[in-house]
Amino acid sequence: MSNSSAGPSSKVRVGSSQPSETTFKRKRGVFQKDLQHMMYGFGDDPNPLPESVALVEDIVVEYVTDLVNKAQDVASKRGKLLTEDFLFLIRKDLPKLNRCTELLSMNEELKQARKAFEVDEEKLATIE
Amino acid sequence: MKQSKDPFEVAFEDQDDESPPDSPTLAPNEIETQSKSQHQAQSESASAQINVDGNTQEDYDDDDVAENISARPTNPKPLKAKDTGKAKEEEDDEEEEDNMEVELGKFAANGDPDKMAKMQSILSQFTEEQMSRYESFRRSGFQKANMKRLLASLTGSAKISIPMTIVVSGIAKMFVGDLVEAARVVMTERRESGPIRPCHIREAYRRLKLEGKVPKRSVPRLFR
Repeated sequence: MSNSSAGPSSKVRVGSSQPSETTFKRKRGVFQKDLQHMMYGFGDDPNPLPESVALVEDIVVEYVTDLVNKAQDVASKRGKLLTEDFLFLIRKDLPKLNRCTELLSMNEELKQARKAFEVDEEKLATIE
Repeated sequence: MKQSKDPFEVAFEDQDDESPPDSPTLAPNEIETQSKSQHQAQSESASAQINVDGNTQEDYDDDDVAENISARPTNPKPLKAKDTGKAKEEEDDEEEEDNMEVELGKFAANGDPDKMAKMQSILSQFTEEQMSRYESFRRSGFQKANMKRLLASLTGSAKISIPMTIVVSGIAKMFVGDLVEAARVVMTERRESGPIRPCHIREAYRRLKLEGKVPKRSVPRLFR
């Protein structure tokens, strides 16, 4: 079976027999480490139970899957899948919506800051 | 610099390696210091910028963090300088650290001194356990690479823009928050204690579905 040409580094995966990106076989524990810290931050034990973490991971993957499917439905009328489609889907959930707009504006800020820094570096280089 | 290393763990390692500072000057290093202790090898210039303020290099320490955060109001500017100073480092590391710093800096940037002051008065009174939990809350997140891979496999398109990854990671993190908090509510109702168990999470998930916070599938899922 030929690897999908568009797959980003999926071959590095251990234990997966099919390197195809569209395989439904999901490696377990992809988000395990992150989820442990996250659950502790939100109120769980400092060491959450592994079965709880696995269950939350399954739930989150299913949530993201459903979210993406819905976003694709919304976006299919326009064509391409855009970030705005996700924002549309969570429009009813104000905390999430505000958080996402905050994250996006922060990302913009950082991009501007990096750009400005690179411009400065170039200037310094040319001066010398 | 290994991006794959959890900054949380790295911070702990640094804490173990170095002894606590002798002179805890009220350095408005805030949380940047412990993020800096990770980048020490690389960000000489960045630390030089901070050291201009006459601060000593302090390692991450719970008490210091609380102190430093309370000493914050004097220092919104080096934050911005630090942002650009660290700009030359890898994007991924930066995003992890700057998320924390810029988030704290956002309080200042919003120009809302009341909110900032309130935040600091709260943070200064945190116990160590609360502080560590808050730290976990702020710093934890889904790995961009993993989320990107997941999104690519779901959408079928290989290219996922970075903002999209950021948005979905943010939404997913808040969803986890909803789940865990609801699970804790379930536990208090059942008068149980200890780590959260799968039965609590399932009940919490059921309640969230009733509230409509979980997107519903138009077609029921078969053959999971």
